[in-house]
Amino acid sequence: MRKEIAVFVLAIVIFGVVASGCISGGNTSTTQTQSTTSKQSSTAEKTTTNVVIYGYQSEMITLDPSTEFSNSIVVLANVYECLVKYTPDGLKPWLATSWESNKNGTIWTFHLRKGVKFHTGNLMTAEDVKWSVERTMRMGMGPAFIWDPVKKIEVVDNYTVKFYLKYPANLPLIASSAYGAYIMDSKYLSKLGDDKAIAAWFNKGQDAGTGPYMIVKDKYNPKTEIVLKKFDDYWGGWSNDQFDLAVIKIIPDASLREQMVTSGEIQITRDLPLDDLPKLKNNPNVKVDQTPSYQELYAFFNTKKAPLNNKLVRQALSYAVPYKDIVDYVLHGYGEVAKGPIPKGMLGYFEDMKTYTYNLDKAKQLLAQAGYPNGGFKLMLTYTQGDQAEAKVAEIIKAEWKKLGIDVEIRPMNWEQQWALAKSDPTKAQDILMMYWWPTYPTPYDFLFNMFHCEKEINFNLCYYCNEEFDKAIDKAVTLEGIQPDKAASLYKKAEQMLVEDAPAIFLYNPDDVYVYHKSISGFKDNPGYPQVVFFYELHKA
Amino acid sequence: MKFREYVIYRLVLAVFVIVGVITVVFFISRVIPSDPAALWVGAHPTPEAIEKAREQLHLNDPILKQFGYYLWSLLHGDLGVSIRTHNPVAADLKSAFTATFELILVAEFIAIIIGIPLGVYSAVKKDSWLDNLSRIFAISGVSLPAFWFGIVLQLIFFKRLGLLPLAGRVDTVVMLEHPLHVITGFYLLDSLITGNFPVFVDALRHLILPAVTLAMYPVGLITRQVRSMMIEVLNENYIRTAWAYGLPPRKIYFKYALKNAIAPALITVGLSFAYTLIGAFLVELIFNWPGLGRYAAYAIMSMDYPAVLGVTIIAATAYVFINLIVDLIQVRIDPRIKL
Repeated sequence: MRKEIAVFVLAIVIFGVVASGCISGGNTSTTQTQSTTSKQSSTAEKTTTNVVIYGYQSEMITLDPSTEFSNSIVVLANVYECLVKYTPDGLKPWLATSWESNKNGTIWTFHLRKGVKFHTGNLMTAEDVKWSVERTMRMGMGPAFIWDPVKKIEVVDNYTVKFYLKYPANLPLIASSAYGAYIMDSKYLSKLGDDKAIAAWFNKGQDAGTGPYMIVKDKYNPKTEIVLKKFDDYWGGWSNDQFDLAVIKIIPDASLREQMVTSGEIQITRDLPLDDLPKLKNNPNVKVDQTPSYQELYAFFNTKKAPLNNKLVRQALSYAVPYKDIVDYVLHGYGEVAKGPIPKGMLGYFEDMKTYTYNLDKAKQLLAQAGYPNGGFKLMLTYTQGDQAEAKVAEIIKAEWKKLGIDVEIRPMNWEQQWALAKSDPTKAQDILMMYWWPTYPTPYDFLFNMFHCEKEINFNLCYYCNEEFDKAIDKAVTLEGIQPDKAASLYKKAEQMLVEDAPAIFLYNPDDVYVYHKSISGFKDNPGYPQVVFFYELHKA
Repeated sequence: MKFREYVIYRLVLAVFVIVGVITVVFFISRVIPSDPAALWVGAHPTPEAIEKAREQLHLNDPILKQFGYYLWSLLHGDLGVSIRTHNPVAADLKSAFTATFELILVAEFIAIIIGIPLGVYSAVKKDSWLDNLSRIFAISGVSLPAFWFGIVLQLIFFKRLGLLPLAGRVDTVVMLEHPLHVITGFYLLDSLITGNFPVFVDALRHLILPAVTLAMYPVGLITRQVRSMMIEVLNENYIRTAWAYGLPPRKIYFKYALKNAIAPALITVGLSFAYTLIGAFLVELIFNWPGLGRYAAYAIMSMDYPAVLGVTIIAATAYVFINLIVDLIQVRIDPRIKL
């Protein structure tokens, strides 16, 4: 009977092999050629274990720089470069060395860096800039809307490119966007066929960028790991203590990432359980890096439905939130109480903004004024299922508002469902909706326009707020951002004060970005303009 | 019925089962309120982008027509594109499937080589300390949650002893230095065929903890099953006769008794394949194993219906075929069973 068992096991093995063969279909020949090339390249890499590994929680999505609007910028920002680099201290040259505009900010000229090579070997010129932006605009997917102001792009000479705009905009900031602003090799890509063919080429794990690292194609697996190899001809040059290989390793489980970073199996990671951070801070093997993110948590009031259509009720409820306690309890102090709708560190954030503080007496007084001295109404609050932080905040709010005689029904929903309900008829939708916002590129307009500008068709204005004066102020401010930043800031401030006064949402908190890295690396600096990205080029061996 | 006819008959039935499963899962996953278009476009889409996606994904068509589209492309071997990752589901599944199957195979192998002898011995030495111990072992294997057991193993073998790796399928650096020529997708097999010894050793080291964790349940199941069948068989007259002939005990137990006791145990082994597939969902998460379980969990959580369907098809097919193989083997072993 041992023979029978062996037959059984063998049968299963054969089934497995055959089945996997069936799924793979006709791809076998391509995988074989790929792995033979990998064998050749391996001899060159054989001596090196000079690698930095970033433990990242989610899988990669697409690798097409024109359409990618999700996690994969973690790869793209190391492989491609934008014209301009955003930093919290201002815009810095990247592929463009300088830029200027005409007086009213409708024509922008960028002077490109000379001698920049693509991974394909071609030189980067103004033609590539024009082609890249035009492709993104033409495809019209994902982040393409950032280029909405652009009317025409003109190649002046090999190293000068001019953008003509439909209306004034802060084009250098747009050109620094983490999504949809990467410059690609037009000479190489345009030979591959139409936009779809190019997208397919990208998604095989190939790139045509100028960045310090390139994707190793035959190691590309968006589900498990992405291997990046240093680009020898990078214009920024290389020093000996930088890393030849950088790996983004997908590890969904947070406690696993924590164990791996403390044991040095991976060198850097993020999104670890906040409860464990104090312990990690005391661990000599790792360092904890804490930077304010450009993310904010909001609780939107349904301003189209009683009783929240009454401003006094909204103000009262805004007073009845223990902001500080929430940050301490939910974020363990890794974050800050929000000051208005814009996160700390960005343009449009004002330290002196007058916002709501926890004051139950004031809340009771306002409720009485509104005609609800003992509360007596019920509110339905939705949040995104699985988000522990939102769940905790919802519980706190429920407990606090109970003191005012208000009953909160908490309903966790899958995000797509939550959003679908919010976009349906506002008079029948939720009363309160919790949601995070972060900018596509760091302009306050991204926040104020998407969430609070009047909308004919509901998209992200999920408080259904509509105030023409507010709209006018921000629509004007955004045109001045590039040329008269001070004037823009004062207009933004005016608009934000209107929001605080009208209280269409509770501005809860800005969480910190917390990275934990092993002592064997140094040089890490979080850049909130490129969320979740680790710029491997900046890392050094410690 | 002849053997060949029977196989064909079962295969035809299998097609019906699989089509039925696809139909049910398709409609359930589409009836649940969710918006695949919103998932497709990413975090902060414009209304135009969503509308465009809706057309691209045929979401504006009636659901029956969508089902038609799905079946049509399925007939052409196309499982569609994942809404969440924008990758072809077939390509995603291929690597996930082989990873999981390798894990399950090794786990079942462990389960069989431990479970059967353990079951036999505890039946032979009924009510002895060995029997009690193996019973405790079997019951805890069946009842202890796999994730708990997995974490305990990690604590002991990685954290305390530093003997085995924490998680993953193979070490990143090892793979970089000794690139693996992927033929079947089973790392152990591939590295053996290509003579890539470092990867073989590394893959094996990575396999041990998750495979043992996953094997706990089937070990318990098989031990219990074999034990109770053996006890029954050992009381049969022919065994007494065998003793009377003075045959060596080893031969009696393993050749004559086990032969009759193994048939039901084989069914258990076959069914436990299905259980281990479910068990793999949790074990893969703990050990960061890039397999079907992890893939399915993500797909379900984000309501990525082409991916959910893909996993379902694979799981249903595997289940149906394993059952078929078990049945056929049983016919070969047990002459009492007729087709």
